[in-house]
Amino acid sequence: MDPTDLIGPTSPLGYPAPYWFIVFFKTLGFALHTLPMNLWYAGLILAVVLHVLGGEHARRWAARLLNQMPIIIALGVNLGIVPLLFTQVAYYRVFYPATILMAWPWFSIFGLLTLAYYGVYIYVTALRRERLSFLRRVVGWVAALVFIAIGFLFANNFSLMTHLEAWPGLWQGTNAAGAVTGGALNTGDPTLWPRWLMMFGLALTTTAAYTVVDAAFFAGRESEAYRHWAPGFALKLYTLGLIWFALSGTWYVFGTWRPEVRALMLGGPLVILTALTALAPGLPWLLILAQRQGVTRRLALFTGLAQFGVLALNAISRQIVQNAELSRFLDVTAEPVNLQLSPLVVFLALFVIGLGIVAWMVRQVVIAERQPA
Amino acid sequence: MHYPWWHVPFLTSPMLIGIVSLLHVIVSHYAVGGGLFLAVETGYAYRTRNAGYLAYLKDHAWFFILVTVVYGAITGVGIWWTIGLASPLATETLIHTFVFGWGMEYVFFVLEIVSAFIFYYYWGRLAPQTHTRIGWIYAISAWISLVLITGITAFMLNTGAWPQNRDFWVGFLNPQFVPQVLARTGGAFLLASLYVYLHATFKVKEVGLRNLIESRSARPALAGAILVVLGGLGWYLFLPESARAALVAASALNVLMVLIFAVTAAVFVMLYLGPYRNPGWLSPGFAILFFGLGLAAITTGEFVREAVRKPYIVYNVVMSNQILPEEIPALRKSGYLEGGTWTKALVAAQYPQVMNGDEIEEARLLALPEADQVRLGQVLFQYHCNDCHAAEVGYSAVAQMIRGWTPDMIRALVQQPERVNFFMPPWAGTPEEAELLTKYLAAIAPPHPAGMYYGNQR
Repeated sequence: MDPTDLIGPTSPLGYPAPYWFIVFFKTLGFALHTLPMNLWYAGLILAVVLHVLGGEHARRWAARLLNQMPIIIALGVNLGIVPLLFTQVAYYRVFYPATILMAWPWFSIFGLLTLAYYGVYIYVTALRRERLSFLRRVVGWVAALVFIAIGFLFANNFSLMTHLEAWPGLWQGTNAAGAVTGGALNTGDPTLWPRWLMMFGLALTTTAAYTVVDAAFFAGRESEAYRHWAPGFALKLYTLGLIWFALSGTWYVFGTWRPEVRALMLGGPLVILTALTALAPGLPWLLILAQRQGVTRRLALFTGLAQFGVLALNAISRQIVQNAELSRFLDVTAEPVNLQLSPLVVFLALFVIGLGIVAWMVRQVVIAERQPA
Repeated sequence: MHYPWWHVPFLTSPMLIGIVSLLHVIVSHYAVGGGLFLAVETGYAYRTRNAGYLAYLKDHAWFFILVTVVYGAITGVGIWWTIGLASPLATETLIHTFVFGWGMEYVFFVLEIVSAFIFYYYWGRLAPQTHTRIGWIYAISAWISLVLITGITAFMLNTGAWPQNRDFWVGFLNPQFVPQVLARTGGAFLLASLYVYLHATFKVKEVGLRNLIESRSARPALAGAILVVLGGLGWYLFLPESARAALVAASALNVLMVLIFAVTAAVFVMLYLGPYRNPGWLSPGFAILFFGLGLAAITTGEFVREAVRKPYIVYNVVMSNQILPEEIPALRKSGYLEGGTWTKALVAAQYPQVMNGDEIEEARLLALPEADQVRLGQVLFQYHCNDCHAAEVGYSAVAQMIRGWTPDMIRALVQQPERVNFFMPPWAGTPEEAELLTKYLAAIAPPHPAGMYYGNQR
């Protein structure tokens, strides 16, 4: 069966905005989502482990991250809506079939997310009240593992979106009179495992970079010893993440990419992007190295921005690879556009106004933080 | 038809949308009304320097965050998850029409999340005026979110003039928009007060404070009940004719409509006699009863709102079985199996003998062995009927509805379902395919129940 036969027709409505606009918001949204998502993906498991096994400062680090985790999760879930929204606008012809083929695992995500989120609240509330029993600790560990499992399901879905060769086999293996029963996973795709692992490596680096930012901006009430310890820990963690990212990235690029994708990304002008994506984590690493004797606000700010640059480059490269993989089956850039100008303008205007209101609220928080406790 | 169909045994996959939606609305309305409650009452407590009330409001804000920011937000995302799986064509249509509406809602959702956390975590650390302003930012953002999402969900019930001009604003400001905004705003006021009563009767021991909370929340609740009724009347007036007819024709919906009005009236009377006139009456048991009745009214209303849309998911735009109405004439000519992306691939892979080049030769379908014809009939059932009907057992199981029918009776139904029941979508296949479906349905229909006496010889 030719997988191209399983791609449905284009929408008669067309794109509501040019493709570049849709893909810009999709990529920007994904990069923004990745920041908090990385903190619960790798940071949470690290925090619950170090909260038990770590030394004095490591336990303090874990407690700090865990205390912030409910807000981090809320922001991350929220920021994840944007890329999902724009994915469905431009990639609907492959997104819906891929999710339906793995309908039950995909459907289970929101239940798992609810459980994991409340698990974090149970752990954190007990931590704040100093009533952290063994059972509540277990709840926290389970929540951390569930978040990693959710990442695995996402990796399955987004790899299945481009792995159309697998569709006929998965469909024929899981159907009732031609209707999908929805129990499939994309585990036969060689790109799945390195993609999943690569994101974990990236998440370790983001957690490390955040440790420096947190120590510089939000840990004013912590001891001098803690603030001295934090960058050293961040350096070790970033180094670990860097090695992890490099190994899994090498596996992904040289072990699983098809020759056409490799030729596109490693030859011609895009080699610059690929090289930047691979080398970019070196900049935050150097910035953390420069702070190993003590964080400074300026360098910590640069560290945070550089890490966002790492995530953004990663998101851009992923997007180009996704389109290259899909180009064998369909051209997502070729659909007609029926521009919805006035709703687009209202959306952008509200977006700017919303950012302004958020900035005002954050300013109130900063003013409150400066007040004596 | 454009997408693979997700078969969920017993329930049918669209019923999962209903379940997740009901789980969401019981909290999403509180997320709006509760935000307004916190903004108004925190301002009031600051003005009256009522430290006890402020302490209670802080406690309530924590409860509010745990319920709305976690459960409410994730079940909202859960609706997204489920509609894409169970109703992909309608989701595709809605997202291509309203992506910027959802984008706008997202902006207010961000404001909600940020303001909710600051409101709670910086309680006592912000100046009262600033603190109250943050509360109002939440309340206004949450209500605008309600307005934005209602424009889209109301569109599904009555698309107004959108099919003619396909303009975003025409679709958004559809005939159902204002009535549903009124009803949902009222529901938010009402449900928020019921949540407050439930929380306060368990958490507040001091009688004076409890009475204050009860009486302060009674007026918004009463106003909410009135708005629900006004919105409900507007909803009925602006229903498309088919939806109004479905409401009258389906006995289950009749019962549910009576239930909604009876429960709303009961809640109104209880609110007036209880918290409004005699705040001291409210006990935990009374609050639980109130809360249960409120949930019953809200969830029943949502169920009815969904049910009357048949035979459409989006009125006059997407049929309930994932077909665009304009596709039906072509499908009747060339065949449903031929027109469906996944059905055609299945036939080509498993029954190559019916293919004539790249196309399905409809006449050859009836030359297949009987078992294969029944199996293809089952494929047609999955893609054409399983949106609303389970097969042999389960939700609206078709086999139970045609118990004891002759093949001719089944054939008549299959060929013109919209004539038998106007709230069913029309047959979108060829006569040969109707025959296949007939054979499948005849194979699963149980016999007429034995032992029934009609006056003939015993």
